[in-house]
Amino acid sequence: MTEALATGTAGAVLAPDRSGARITARLLHSKATLFWAAVVLVVVLCAVLAPLIAPSDPLKGDIRDGLLGPSAHHWLGTDKLGRDVLSRVLYGARTALLSAVEAVGIAAVVGIPLGLLSGYLGGWTDRILMRIVEGVMSVPFLVLAIALISVLGPGLWKSMAVVGVVYAMTLVRLVRGEALAAREELYVDGVRVAGAGSGRIVFRHILPNITPPLIVQITLMIAGAIIAEATLSFLGLGAQAGDASWGSMLSDAQASIRESFFLALPPGFAILLTVLAFNQVGDGIRDLFAREAKAGSMGVNPVLKAAGQGEAPPAGVFVDDPVLSVRDLTVSFPQPGAGRVAVVQGMSLDVGRGEIVGLVGESGSGKSVTAMSLLGLVPDPGRVRAASIRLDGRDLAGLSFDELRKVRGGEIGVVFQEPIASLNPAYTVGDQVAEVLREHAGLSRAQARERVVSLFGQVHIPDPAARLGDYPHQFSGGMAQRVMIAMALASGPRLLVADEPTTALDVTVQGQVLDLLLELREQTGMSILVITHDLGVVADVADRVAVMYAGQLVECGPTEEVFRRPSHPYTEGLLTSLPRNVRRAGRLPSIPGVVPPPSAWAEGCRFAPRCAHARPECSAGPIELAAGGRDRAARCVRSHDLTLTGVRALAGEPSAAPLASVRIEKKP
Amino acid sequence: MLRTVIIRLLAMIPLVFLVATGVFFLSQLSDVDPAENIVGPDASAAQVAAVRAELGLDRPVLEQYTDWLSGAVHGDLGRSLYTKADVATSLMQALPVTLSLTFGGLLVGLLLGVPSGIWSALRAGRAGDKAISLVATVGQAVPGFWLGLLLIFAFAIRLPWFPSIGYVPIDQDPAGWLRSLTLPSISLGLIAAAAISRQTRSSMIGVLQQEYVRTALSKGLSKRRVVLKHALKNAAVPIVTVVSFQVTTLLGGSIVIERLFAMPGLGQLAINAVLRRDPDVIQGIVVLTVIVVVLVNVLLDLSYAWLNPKVRAI
Repeated sequence: MTEALATGTAGAVLAPDRSGARITARLLHSKATLFWAAVVLVVVLCAVLAPLIAPSDPLKGDIRDGLLGPSAHHWLGTDKLGRDVLSRVLYGARTALLSAVEAVGIAAVVGIPLGLLSGYLGGWTDRILMRIVEGVMSVPFLVLAIALISVLGPGLWKSMAVVGVVYAMTLVRLVRGEALAAREELYVDGVRVAGAGSGRIVFRHILPNITPPLIVQITLMIAGAIIAEATLSFLGLGAQAGDASWGSMLSDAQASIRESFFLALPPGFAILLTVLAFNQVGDGIRDLFAREAKAGSMGVNPVLKAAGQGEAPPAGVFVDDPVLSVRDLTVSFPQPGAGRVAVVQGMSLDVGRGEIVGLVGESGSGKSVTAMSLLGLVPDPGRVRAASIRLDGRDLAGLSFDELRKVRGGEIGVVFQEPIASLNPAYTVGDQVAEVLREHAGLSRAQARERVVSLFGQVHIPDPAARLGDYPHQFSGGMAQRVMIAMALASGPRLLVADEPTTALDVTVQGQVLDLLLELREQTGMSILVITHDLGVVADVADRVAVMYAGQLVECGPTEEVFRRPSHPYTEGLLTSLPRNVRRAGRLPSIPGVVPPPSAWAEGCRFAPRCAHARPECSAGPIELAAGGRDRAARCVRSHDLTLTGVRALAGEPSAAPLASVRIEKKP
Repeated sequence: MLRTVIIRLLAMIPLVFLVATGVFFLSQLSDVDPAENIVGPDASAAQVAAVRAELGLDRPVLEQYTDWLSGAVHGDLGRSLYTKADVATSLMQALPVTLSLTFGGLLVGLLLGVPSGIWSALRAGRAGDKAISLVATVGQAVPGFWLGLLLIFAFAIRLPWFPSIGYVPIDQDPAGWLRSLTLPSISLGLIAAAAISRQTRSSMIGVLQQEYVRTALSKGLSKRRVVLKHALKNAAVPIVTVVSFQVTTLLGGSIVIERLFAMPGLGQLAINAVLRRDPDVIQGIVVLTVIVVVLVNVLLDLSYAWLNPKVRAI
């Protein structure tokens, strides 16, 4: 409930920040694009001004001056026939650009109308046209060009016309696809209903829509056409012998490569630079229109060992015989415009042997990051420090990625929120579960298979032997989550971390999965850390509950006590949001507002801005977590003078809703 | 599996037929009369007519077409008007050269492109990634034949490690075959490597953000295993798409590289045929290339089913 509300508005709060960063990033990228656009401009100027700036006639030379190296007189030397190379490169730009304009012009004139026709009319026109395009495109570009040149005969303008016709096919396909998509869009239908003519629809509505991808494609095509011109001229099918073209210059260079290697460099670099510039401009334009791509790598950062032992947590956080004991965990991420911000701060938490602890909070409270820190799997820009993370007494803080491999999947099993997305779609589920056994227990293929069958039975997957050959997409969400649980259980872990194990599942399936967790705890005696935003889940399974808000632990204690008499107003707010109470109140009495972004967290009580009981002293300075009895702790200056409302009818309302069927009494 | 292969192979027949028909009628559009070319500019009209009759060029177009087509179905692609050589035989002699070169180029493309793309993706945004991306961007702008020219100068002339021209058949001298293919394959394959590297990088980055990668890490697997087993197979589908596109490009590009290295492949055959206006040879080359391209694509299509189990179900 609060989750939905929170994510909705949290996105809105963050939006200005993110789009600001995006525009800056785009401007930065545009700078590079502008540079390459300037290079294009220089090439165009060289081509246009060649007659004015070329030092000599590109076609005339004195054979006695042949193959001279670079000199003051001939900056780039001369070729075999004594022609000035610089002049020929400048005139070559002319040939290249004119050829490209010819080819791409023909492609546009032929391809765009045909594509529009095909996409807009659809039906038989479309089918026949696309068959032809498909046939033409299945012939390699150069083979096709050569076949067509054999009809028309060689020569630069004829060859480039052929290139244009071949390129037209690409445009037909592109424009047709875009027109088809644009036609499907609602507004075009709306326009058609309004009685606009076909011509108007095409020119007013479809064409503007397809212009951005078209501009990108045409820019990239110019680059391609320049290479095509050079290639065909190199083969003797384009510019004829003697003409100033980069391709024929390279052909000349090949002929005299043993005498003067230098000749191959100027035309080659001219092609490289020009093509690169057009490609970069095309990519730059594409990026301007495209959505920002997420950057990502598999970088994960291990937990660094913080200096010292950190401050000892108050009594309520300890348990007598902890399997897991986290002390003073801090996770920081860089935030745009705010430097590095701690999204989890000074977190301490114990999980007792055989105990189920619920770690609760809204999204953005830092609960999932806390869980990932235990495994050293916090994604890259995140930095993790802890005084200690003890698993059965052994400190995990300071261990490297590879040292933690034995712990991950071996001593700590993990179950994630989205079971189907969390399973690899390319491998069978049996293979994925067996992988854990082969990795940690060193079982053979056959042994692992046998064990997977029994694990599947343990998590109540019907017909286990048959199902282990299935792929994740063949499973329902609930069954896939059972596979995930089997995977987490495979090597008999001491601790199971379940990160929102039921959030993505149907309500009825949620109850079954939670029952399974309780059953497995009974059978194996392992401890479970359940991370959830849903107090209903906590009520169902957890012995103790730890409530997080804005990166801090705000309350901690036995589930039943905390539910009956919360010590922190945030816990009270979460409890009032329980469906059971919602029904009684007739509306969703959620806490007003959302968890603010980390950079906006207050120095004093972080919950104060949303708290109905806030006083001036709440914002005076950092609030410490304080013990409130033998096994309770809370981070609130008023916890002693406030009487907060809990869930009074915990026992009185059996199975009020499947989500919150309360079973606390049954627990040891 | 076999059924799928057969269906795919049958489905390629209309496409090959379409291309064959297209290329036949296209050559009829030419305003150049091969007969005139053969007898030379000074010949009389009677001489030209005689040659036309001898070559069968005076028959109705439709008759020539059906003749050619029925021959083609039986593997007879006609004769060169000039050398009188059987087209099918010349194609079969040239094909191994072109296929060796294309395959060599593809190998270079894959061996350089896939690992560099993965390496780059794992360092997305850092210096190593930026360097690779820069090289790939520049690589896509380098004309293969220019690169070949530079390679010839460096590794055949300055350092005489490889032959600068020619082709050695594999059954004559396997080591010589490999040496004669090295420089051409690199010249041909580097552009493909750049394209494959860019695609590998972007699809790897996409896959590495998926939740199943986090699951694989949480199982305690090594990073190598997570990348090479869990991520790569999922990232491979778009890479295969680029590869299938690259095969077509490489097959075309081999024409220039063959010319540069004077290798007796389809490219040499094609260029000579164009310069001489030898329609049967051109038609044969186009049809053969299309068949090769379609066959390769059928093979790659089949790999999709292995890579993506969801496709298999359909």
